[in-house]
Amino acid sequence: MNEILSTQGLYKSFGGIVVADNVTFSIAAGEIIGLIGPNGAGKTSLFNLISGVITPDAGEIFLRGLPIGDLPLHRRARAGIARTWQHVRLFKTMTVLENLLVAPRECSGESVFKLLFGGGAYRREQATLRDRANGILARMGLAPMAERLVTELPFGQQKLVGVARALMNDGPCLLLDEPMAGVEGTAYETIKTIVREEAAAGRAVCVVEHNISFIKDLCSSAVFMANGRIMQTGTVAELFGNKFLTQLYFGT
Amino acid sequence: MHYIYSLLVLIGIYVTLSASFNLIIGNGGLISIAHPIFFALGAYTAALFAINFGVPVLFSIAAGMIVALGSSFALSLPALRISGDYLLIASIGFQLGLVQIIKNLDFTGGAGGLGNIPSVLSGETRDIAFAVGSLGMALVVVLIIRSIIRSPYGSAITAMRDDELAFVSLGRNAMAIKLVIFAIGSGFAGLAGGVYAYYYLYLSPDQFEILQSATILTMVVVGGMGSTLGPVVGGILLLALPQAITFLQLPPSIMGPLQGMIFTLLVLVFLFVRPQGLISTKRLHR
Repeated sequence: MNEILSTQGLYKSFGGIVVADNVTFSIAAGEIIGLIGPNGAGKTSLFNLISGVITPDAGEIFLRGLPIGDLPLHRRARAGIARTWQHVRLFKTMTVLENLLVAPRECSGESVFKLLFGGGAYRREQATLRDRANGILARMGLAPMAERLVTELPFGQQKLVGVARALMNDGPCLLLDEPMAGVEGTAYETIKTIVREEAAAGRAVCVVEHNISFIKDLCSSAVFMANGRIMQTGTVAELFGNKFLTQLYFGT
Repeated sequence: MHYIYSLLVLIGIYVTLSASFNLIIGNGGLISIAHPIFFALGAYTAALFAINFGVPVLFSIAAGMIVALGSSFALSLPALRISGDYLLIASIGFQLGLVQIIKNLDFTGGAGGLGNIPSVLSGETRDIAFAVGSLGMALVVVLIIRSIIRSPYGSAITAMRDDELAFVSLGRNAMAIKLVIFAIGSGFAGLAGGVYAYYYLYLSPDQFEILQSATILTMVVVGGMGSTLGPVVGGILLLALPQAITFLQLPPSIMGPLQGMIFTLLVLVFLFVRPQGLISTKRLHR
């Protein structure tokens, strides 16, 4: 199996509240793993640990076998970990297209020196970026909204923009934090298709989601978390066959 | 006519100051109040180079700009390394501390100020040259800032201001961007300082006190934070306004406090009634 991302014994606590307790798991290329569990189980915290928003107290994170635990947030994104946010976090005063243009892994646009002295190579790179961004927007049916301010879009479409922005990072690992919350209709189907396509293209995808039918439709396997611990890993059917876990999750 | 020319010189200087401050606070979202000290560093450097080494005008002004730009890192590097919020606190210390140092050093002329700056040109030629030079400087600075903001680099600055965490998690180095825009803004303040020194031929540390920061901030807020034309309009308006009330022939003891009150009132009124300023960036969503 072509392992992309793995964690080894991740531990993190915030003043006594343990959000990650000896978390060890891995995702292979082309796999879609569902991360499920009740609220406060540590799913988003795990994403934050992997992407570098918070640093673990113990444990290590590997991307393609290389430890990345010491890399700061922005370096991890450049190494190829793309993520979305539960609350979208788009750049509110910018258009849909502009949101995507600042998002690639390597981006000369953030260097004032390349702006001044980059010349033709710099402009060509910007043109290529624009093409890539437009391509992603077209795939997601967002092309007509490219020049609209993100705040003018309905919430479902903002979620799509969030996913589109993460796709500008063409790295091997994609973390989606509740991509379906507040999304319905065509946007729902679009996100499903996109996630399938990205995994088929060889990305390792991990999805935090409360929408069980989405998890059942998409995920090859799932990880059940509660109180910062991984309770069980297996196929979706296996997890929901476990009475104890369904009770933990649904409280019935 | 001399009066008009001197007003034009001041407008050029203050538009440069407020446009560069706007880059830092309006576009970058970096809260600092140390802008006057970079203005001072540019002015004192240019003046000292001219007095002590007889360096030609343009070179000593350039030296002032470089010193202001370089010393911006002394503030931004340690302050931004911890967290953006510390910049404000550190900038207060930096501003107050450096003014005290200037007041207590011998070679800066101490609290009494620095005179004997060699004059370039004379008579009406001088007035015209400085008015044109100062306004030209303001124009070039505003155009440079505009081209930065409209470039992909400007998009990066805007994105960083909108949501820094989301921005960094895309792989962008927010720290580097902050350091650069702080340096560019401070460098332009130094440039304005050089022109100021050569025009007035005398520098007093009192002119670079923390209150200057309030004046520049008022110009930015009234004009429109984050918009390119805002500081231009704000600068011109707030320089013309005090000139306008001089026609009321009030005694100086009332004029000074009155100006302060008008500026403070303007900031408050604008922040409540029209937070986007006179020139809106159109995109500001609140």
